[in-house]
Amino acid sequence: MSDILELTVNATATGCIYALVALAYLLILRPTGIINFAIGEWAMAGAFISVAALTAIVLPAISLPYPLAAIVILVIMAAIGWATERVAVRPLLRRKAAILSPILALLGVLVIMRELGALVFGVDPLPSPPPFGFRRMTLGPFAGTPQNFYIIASTLLVFLGAWLFFERTIWGRAFEAVAIDRRAAALMGVNLNRVTALAFAAGAALAGFAGLLTSAQTSAHYMMGLPLAIQGFTALVIGGVGRVEGALLGGLVIAFAEQFATRYTPIPSGLTLGVPLLLLILFLFVRPSGLLPAKEGR
Amino acid sequence: MIISGVKWVAAAAILIATAYLLGGYETDLYRKLLLWIALALSYNFLFGISGQIAFSHFTFYGVGAYAIVILTFQAGLPLPLAALAGIAVCVLVALVVALPSTRLAGFYLALATLALAQLFIVVLGEGGRITGGRGGLLNYRLPEVFGFQISGPDYTVVIVLVLLGTLALLLRLDRSWFGRACRAIRDNPSAAAAMGVNVARIKVIAFVVTSTLAGVAGMTYAFVDNTVNPPIFGLENMFLLLFMVIIGGSGSHLGAILGAVVLYLAPFVLQPFVGHHHVLVFGVFMVAVILFEPRGIIGILERALAWLKRRRPPTLVGRRIKWRQKADLS
Repeated sequence: MSDILELTVNATATGCIYALVALAYLLILRPTGIINFAIGEWAMAGAFISVAALTAIVLPAISLPYPLAAIVILVIMAAIGWATERVAVRPLLRRKAAILSPILALLGVLVIMRELGALVFGVDPLPSPPPFGFRRMTLGPFAGTPQNFYIIASTLLVFLGAWLFFERTIWGRAFEAVAIDRRAAALMGVNLNRVTALAFAAGAALAGFAGLLTSAQTSAHYMMGLPLAIQGFTALVIGGVGRVEGALLGGLVIAFAEQFATRYTPIPSGLTLGVPLLLLILFLFVRPSGLLPAKEGR
Repeated sequence: MIISGVKWVAAAAILIATAYLLGGYETDLYRKLLLWIALALSYNFLFGISGQIAFSHFTFYGVGAYAIVILTFQAGLPLPLAALAGIAVCVLVALVVALPSTRLAGFYLALATLALAQLFIVVLGEGGRITGGRGGLLNYRLPEVFGFQISGPDYTVVIVLVLLGTLALLLRLDRSWFGRACRAIRDNPSAAAAMGVNVARIKVIAFVVTSTLAGVAGMTYAFVDNTVNPPIFGLENMFLLLFMVIIGGSGSHLGAILGAVVLYLAPFVLQPFVGHHHVLVFGVFMVAVILFEPRGIIGILERALAWLKRRRPPTLVGRRIKWRQKADLS
C-alpha cells in the first residue's frame, strides 16, 4: 500500500511537469493556432540556465540563492520567448503566411537551440540542486522527496494563477477572444501583436520553469527537450486543447499511466515511452476533443 | 513521349556509369547520396505537395531496413518474399498512424509521427535478440537472388533503379488526378472537399505511399553498410531531411533533389569552418529560408534567371509587353 502511495506522489510530480509543458503549449496555441515544438527546447534552456545560476558547474563565479535564480530564469526565458516571436513568428504572421510557416520556423528554432545547448553546456547531463534537499518527507500517508512536493505545490499555484488569469483578468479575456475569433477580437480593440508576444513570453517562461523543476529530478541535458515536448503535447490532447484544467488532467493521466505501467506490468521500462503514443492514438480515435472539451464561446 | 523516354535512359546511363567509375569510399558516399535523394523526393511529396507534416519518414526507412534484415536472416524468408513482407509491414504501420490522425484538422499527424519516431528508437533498443538492441544487427550480407550474388557497383545500380523508380512513380502521381487533389488539399482543404475530393482518404493514401517508398529505400540501405542500428533512424536525420526539402524548395521535385545534394555535401565543405556543428548552420538557414525565400533554392534560382533575362538589352516592344504582363498580374 505504501508502495502505491509513494508511486502516486512520484507520478503526480512527473505529471505536474508534463502539465506545465502542456500549459506552455496551450498559452501559445490558443491565441495563435501555432503548435510550438520548440517548447521542449525552452524547457531544456530553463534547465541549463538553472544549473548555471544555482551551481558553480558552468559559471564558477555565480551561484545564486534559489528564489533569485528562479526569477532570473523566468526573466531570461520570457525574453527568449519574446525574441523568438519577434524574429521567427511575427514577420510571417504579418505577411499572412500559412500557419504552417511559423510552425516550421519554430522547428528550425528547436534545432538551433538544441545545438546551442550542446555547444555551450556540453553533452553530459548536469544536475541542479533541489532547493529543499534530498531527505525523505512524509505528508500524512504520502511520502516522497521534498522536490516532489515542491513540484506539486508550485504547479498547482501556477495553474491557479493561469485559471485566474483566463477567468478574471481583462488580458485573459483578450486571450480567449483572440482564440475564438482573431478578426473579431482585433475589431473589438484587442492588440493581436501584443497578445501574441505575451503568449510567447509567458509560454517560454512557463516551459523554463518546468525545466527548472525537472533539472533537479532528471538533470539538464541537451536531448531532454523532445521527450518533454511529446509528453506535454500528448497531455494537452488527452486533457482537451481548449482548457487550462485539461492540461493538468492530461499530464497526470500520462504520468500515472506511464509509471504504473512500469511498476505493475512486465513491459521493460524503456518501452513506457510507448504509453503516451498508445494513449494518443486511442484518444485520437475515440475522443479527439480530449477529456475536458473546450467551452463554447460565451 | 519519346523525348521523355530518352531523358530517363540518359539519366539512368549517367547515374549507372558514375557507379562504375568510383572507388570504395566514393561508392559509399555515392550510394548514400542516392538514398538521401530518394528519401527527399518521397518526403517532398508528403510534405511539400500534400502539405502534411510528419516526422516518421526516417522511421519508415528504418522499418524497411530492419524488416528485410529480420525477415531474411531470422525468419529465413527468401529475399523477394521478405521484401514484399517488408512493404506490407510499412503499409500496416503507416495505416495505424495515419487513419486516426488525418481524420482531424490540425497538426495531429505531426504529433503522432513524432511520438512514433521516438517509440521506434526505443523499441529497437529494447528488442533484444530480434532487433539486436542498441548495437543493432550486423554481420550479414545480401543473399543470392535467383542464383545471382549482387555486390560492388552492381549493387549501386540497384540503388539507382530504386531512386529512378521512386522519381518515376512520384512524377506520375503528381501529374495525375491524385497529385492535383493532394495540392488542392494542401492549399485549401475545405475548398478541395467542396470540389468532391475525399480529403481524409487522399491524405491517408499519400502518407502510406510515401512512407512505403521510404521503407523501400530503407530495404536497399540495409545492404549498403550491412548493418542496421538505432541511431541512423532517429529524429536527427529526420530533421535533416525536413531541412533538405525546405531549403531545396518544398513542393518541387527538383528542389528536393537540390536540397538533398547541397545538404548532404555541405558538412564536407563546412567542416573546416564549423567542425561538427553544421546542423546549427542548417537550422539558421532553414529559419532564414522560411522568413526570406519560402521557395528555397528553387526560388533563388528562379529569381536569378529572371534577373538575367532582365539584364538583356530590352527592345522597345519587349519592354512594353513586359510592362503589360506586369499590369495583368497585379
